[in-house]
Amino acid sequence: MRQVRRMRQHRFAAAGLTLLVGVLALAAAAAAASVLNVHDEGHLRFVHASGSVIIDEGRVSGSFPGTVRVRFLYNGEPDVSAVFTITGHGGSISARGTGRLSSPTSPTPSFGGHMTVTGGTGRYTHVHGGGELFGVYNRRSYALTVQAIGKLPY
Amino acid sequence: MRLSRPGLSLALVLVAVFGVCMPVGAGAAQIAKINARFTPERLGHATTLSLGFKLVTPDRQGPAALSAMQLAYPANLGLATSGLGLASCSLSELEAMGGEGCPANSRMGYGSAVVELALDVETVKEQISLQVFAGPSPDGYLHVLVYASGVYPVYAQVVLSGVLLRGRLSIVVPPIPSFPEAPDISMTQMQLTLGGDLTYYERVGGKLVAYHPAGVGLPSRCPSGGFPFGATFAFLGGGQASAHTAVPCPQGS
Repeated sequence: MRQVRRMRQHRFAAAGLTLLVGVLALAAAAAAASVLNVHDEGHLRFVHASGSVIIDEGRVSGSFPGTVRVRFLYNGEPDVSAVFTITGHGGSISARGTGRLSSPTSPTPSFGGHMTVTGGTGRYTHVHGGGELFGVYNRRSYALTVQAIGKLPY
Repeated sequence: MRLSRPGLSLALVLVAVFGVCMPVGAGAAQIAKINARFTPERLGHATTLSLGFKLVTPDRQGPAALSAMQLAYPANLGLATSGLGLASCSLSELEAMGGEGCPANSRMGYGSAVVELALDVETVKEQISLQVFAGPSPDGYLHVLVYASGVYPVYAQVVLSGVLLRGRLSIVVPPIPSFPEAPDISMTQMQLTLGGDLTYYERVGGKLVAYHPAGVGLPSRCPSGGFPFGATFAFLGGGQASAHTAVPCPQGS
């Protein structure tokens, strides 16, 4: 009976230790989660339009270089919105942003606002967070210059 | 005679040969009809948008003076992304020099209208021309100025101000006085074209190069029942009228 009781105590102790190690490992992993400092800029070309939506694509350079595809919405409200995906080495990051257009009758009004990450793929599957989004919209050519800045844990 | 009001450029010279006048129509019920058209109608491409209305007063009453109108269009129509209105024209520029004083790149469209002056002996109609310009934007919205110019029998220039909101264009029609004891002039028909045969200029390599702005962007998909349009009209004296229409989807869409 004593041996059985000891064995049970050992098992409980082992299970507790395993749990503790697991928790510590998770905490360590969380503490060591990578953060992507995004500071990218891209000069995009017009691809397609559908009503108040403009689709632009191009290369972005910076801390997360790659290609970007932007779905830009301008429906006459002072706030414009953009949904974009940057595809770089190891995966992609998708985000949406809104910003206020500076001057709607300028040929190249600028906008600035916030972006929120909506998802990722590859090594950025768990990416989240947000940052700032700036840009210039060329109303003649529909080209966009965009700048995304943010710290994104993944 | 020269009249002027804030927000209103008005130089009114009257040919007062219409006899004794009688104010009519302030409370008369109005029936509104509107029309809308895309030329060409190719989904996913730029187009020219024509919008028009006609106000009819039944029972031979004189027309009520229009004070404001709200033209509703599909919210995903690319009016803001049309590339129209790359410069702005100020009210003072329009008042001082007419449409010729405005930058070419501020021109957004053109059109015509019919105004009526209801007198006791007859209702006098006049055809006026319209020019649409982008106005300065104090609030981030796209503002438009519609320069209305008539020659005969009433010589007058009036500026209508409007603002482009999401899915609707709101236009304020200022009172258009005729002459003492006479009712205000009423706008009873309008046909506006946004886009179309416009010439803009851009600087390329130091040279000014002419081009035609793309125009209003049509969505890639046509909603069931066509592209819906609507309009609400408000009249001095409190009356209202509204109308709806739809631009049918192109064949094969």
